[in-house]
Parts: sequence; C-alpha cells; structure tokens
Amino acid sequence: MITTAQDEINLYVFAVRAALGDLPESLRDELLEDLPEHLAEVVADGEGSLAERLGSPEAYAEDLRTTAGFVGGFPDPPQRAARLIEVRDQALVHLHRLDARLGPLFGAAHASEFLVLLRPAWWVLRGYLVAMVVAWMLDDSGQPIGLLPRIGGSEVVALLLLAIGVLASIWFGRRSLSLTKWPQRALYAGSVILVLVALAGFSEADSSRRDANYTDVNYDNPYSNIEDLFVYDEQGRLVTNARIFDQNGSPLRLGNAYCYDGEGNYTEVQTLTYPYCADRDPFRMPAASASADPGAGDASGAPGANGPGPVDPSADPTSTPSVSPSLGSSASPTPSSSVKPGSVSPSAR
Amino acid sequence: MHRVDTTQLLKGVLDLACLAALRDEDGYGYDILRRLRTSGLTEVGDASVYGTLRRLFNAGLLTTYVVPSDEGPHRKYYALNAAGRAELQRSGKIWHGFASTMNDLLRERETA
Repeated sequence: MITTAQDEINLYVFAVRAALGDLPESLRDELLEDLPEHLAEVVADGEGSLAERLGSPEAYAEDLRTTAGFVGGFPDPPQRAARLIEVRDQALVHLHRLDARLGPLFGAAHASEFLVLLRPAWWVLRGYLVAMVVAWMLDDSGQPIGLLPRIGGSEVVALLLLAIGVLASIWFGRRSLSLTKWPQRALYAGSVILVLVALAGFSEADSSRRDANYTDVNYDNPYSNIEDLFVYDEQGRLVTNARIFDQNGSPLRLGNAYCYDGEGNYTEVQTLTYPYCADRDPFRMPAASASADPGAGDASGAPGANGPGPVDPSADPTSTPSVSPSLGSSASPTPSSSVKPGSVSPSAR
Repeated sequence: MHRVDTTQLLKGVLDLACLAALRDEDGYGYDILRRLRTSGLTEVGDASVYGTLRRLFNAGLLTTYVVPSDEGPHRKYYALNAAGRAELQRSGKIWHGFASTMNDLLRERETA
C-alpha cells in the first residue's frame, strides 16, 4: 500500500527495473540512474498517481528501451574494418551474380563449378612451381636453371624433384579442403606467392626467347655500333659530304643520321652524305675545324679542306666525287687518284 | 506498408524536438515534456523524454545543473551547450529539407 510519494516512486522505479530485466545490469543502472529524481519532479508538478499520469511501469520501461537505443552517446560512425567488410560483401554479391551469369558459358549453373573441375590441374601446376622454387633455393651451381627444377644442372634430380613436388601437391590438395581458418589463409597466401613466381618466371622465359634473335643479329654485325662515317683525303683532311656506294652502285646507309644542328636541336640529317655530323670529326685539324661546321659544309673559308668539293645529292653518282668501297681508288675523283682513300690513315697526319 | 503514426514519426525526431525545446530556455525533465506537449506533440511520453535527455547529455550536447527548491524536490535542469546548439542547427537543416521534400511530394500527388 502506497503511503508517501517517495514510496510510490520507489515502487514505480522497481517495476520499471523489473521490466528491463533482460538488459545488462550496468546498462539498466545507467538508464535508471536519474529516474527517482525525475519522477519526484513529475510528482511535484501535478496531481494524480504516477501510473495514471505516466502509464504502467511496463509501458514506461518499453518507451525507455526504445529511446535509449544508444545509451552512452550517439552511435559511433562505422569502423574502418566494418566499412571494408561492407565493401567486400558488396563485391561478393557482384561476383556471385557474375558467377551465375557466366555459368551457361561453361555448361553449368555457376562458372565456379567449372573452376572446381580445374582444381586438380592447379595442384599439378602448383607441384611444378613448388619444385622450381625449391630448386632455385637449393641450386648454387651458378648455371641457368632452365624450365626444369635442376639442382646442380642434373636432369635426374630435376625429374625426381618434379615428381615429388607434383605428387605432394596432389596429396596435399586432396586434404586442404578440410583445413581450418588460419591454415587455409596461409595456403591462399602461399598460392598467391606461387602465382607471382610463376608470372615472373614466365615473363622471363618469354623475353629470353624473344631476345635470342636480336642478340644473334647484333653479334654478327660488327658495324652495329657505327654512328657516323668520316672520310679523309691523302692529306688527312676531312672529306665532307662524301657519298659512299657499294659494288652495285647502291648508296650505303650506315650509322645514325641524326645530328645536333646549329641551334642544338637533335634533328634528322636529310642528305645521304657523310659525315652526318662533321663537328664530331675524331681527328679534327685546327685549320679544318672551321670547315667542319655541318651548317656550312662547303666551308668556303678553308679552301682545299673539303677535298672534292661540294656534293649535290641529286646529281648522278658517276659524275660526282664519291668513294666506292669495292671499286677502290679507280673510281675516286680525288686529285691524286693513285692513292687509295684507305691508305691515308688518319693517324698519318 | 507501415502506417504512418505519430509515435513512429516521433522516434526519428525526438532528439531534435528536445534540443529545440531547450533552445530559448533551460528546463528540467517534466518541464520539457510539458513544452513538447503544449507545442502539439501530445503523444510524447515521459519515459521517452527522460531517456532522450539522458542520451543527449551523454553525447555531450547538454549540460545540467541542479536547482534547489524550498517546496518539493531539487530539480535537474538541462541546458544546451555549444555542441548542442550546433547539433540543433545541423539537424534542423536536415529536418527542413526532409519536411519540404515530403510536402512537395504530397502536394504533387494531391494535385495530380
């Protein structure tokens, strides 16, 4: 029986507490911490019993429960990890949809069913990759390992290691399906590393196959590193605008027809005369240096320094001064044609 | 469908309503309840206001102080602090946007 307002409040609070009995003790205490004082204010401010004015304690508790959804503050913003999980879940949804859509292509309800069929093939490949990694770590012979897991260059060891690797991988594969969480993750991580190793090995093997042709060509061609040609007359003077032909009269195109012009720009030389870049003359004479300017090939300031004189590229080769390797000096229109251009060694000056 | 009823709608805006009720004048729990009811939110319950005030206080949006009383119990007054005013302004904007969207939506449907 209710005697005082305080008793009424205590009873009411007690009933509310009871109705919140399923909440954790600490949460309930927190919720009800101020309730007696609050109810005292309510009582003081009006007429009638608490139950009449506030409804039953049970209803009151229910109201409290819904408004106290986030006791201790507003809900925290989602954590980074939670957001990542959300992104992952969304990606998985798309992946599943794609999986189902691609299924008919493989004659199954889901594309992943086809991938499951390929699993043993992966086991075999994995065995090979593991054998390669083991061989690579154990091999200290210094020779290229090739595409088999050779140790010390031995084929027998390679085949043995390959067999062991493949068999072990299959044996392990048949048991890996029942692994627990962490070993499973370690397995995935290992697989990713193996795939990376495989990709690196594949691209290396691929590029070495492709580069093989290139190196052969370069090896046989002793002129592959020629950039420019410099022709000297018997006085050791640089011949500018020289034209060079083979036995068939075809002009020889050697070197790299690019040159720094007067403004310092790296431009293509349009004429087929040598040298492309006269200012790179390796045996430059002080007197001829002025004539070695590529922009002033005829170098009127140094008479005689230009040998046969200016060359008109459009003129008939037979009527212009030219040096033909196979015809030797007989075709050379230099003043003293008995002397081969080749006999004038640049070192003679 | 969910039938629209005031109790349901109140749940979403009770925080904002309590903050607004404290905008011009501090108040104690039952006082705030009365303001809300006088303003027209007749269905709001005492427990909801009590719970909401506690939650807003815990969130750092309100400060409290106790005013002794000669007759009757001491009263715990709630007051908006700076964070509470900022939150009132922010949530108020959201509410205005939401309400005008709903108004436009309803008007279109009615005239259509």
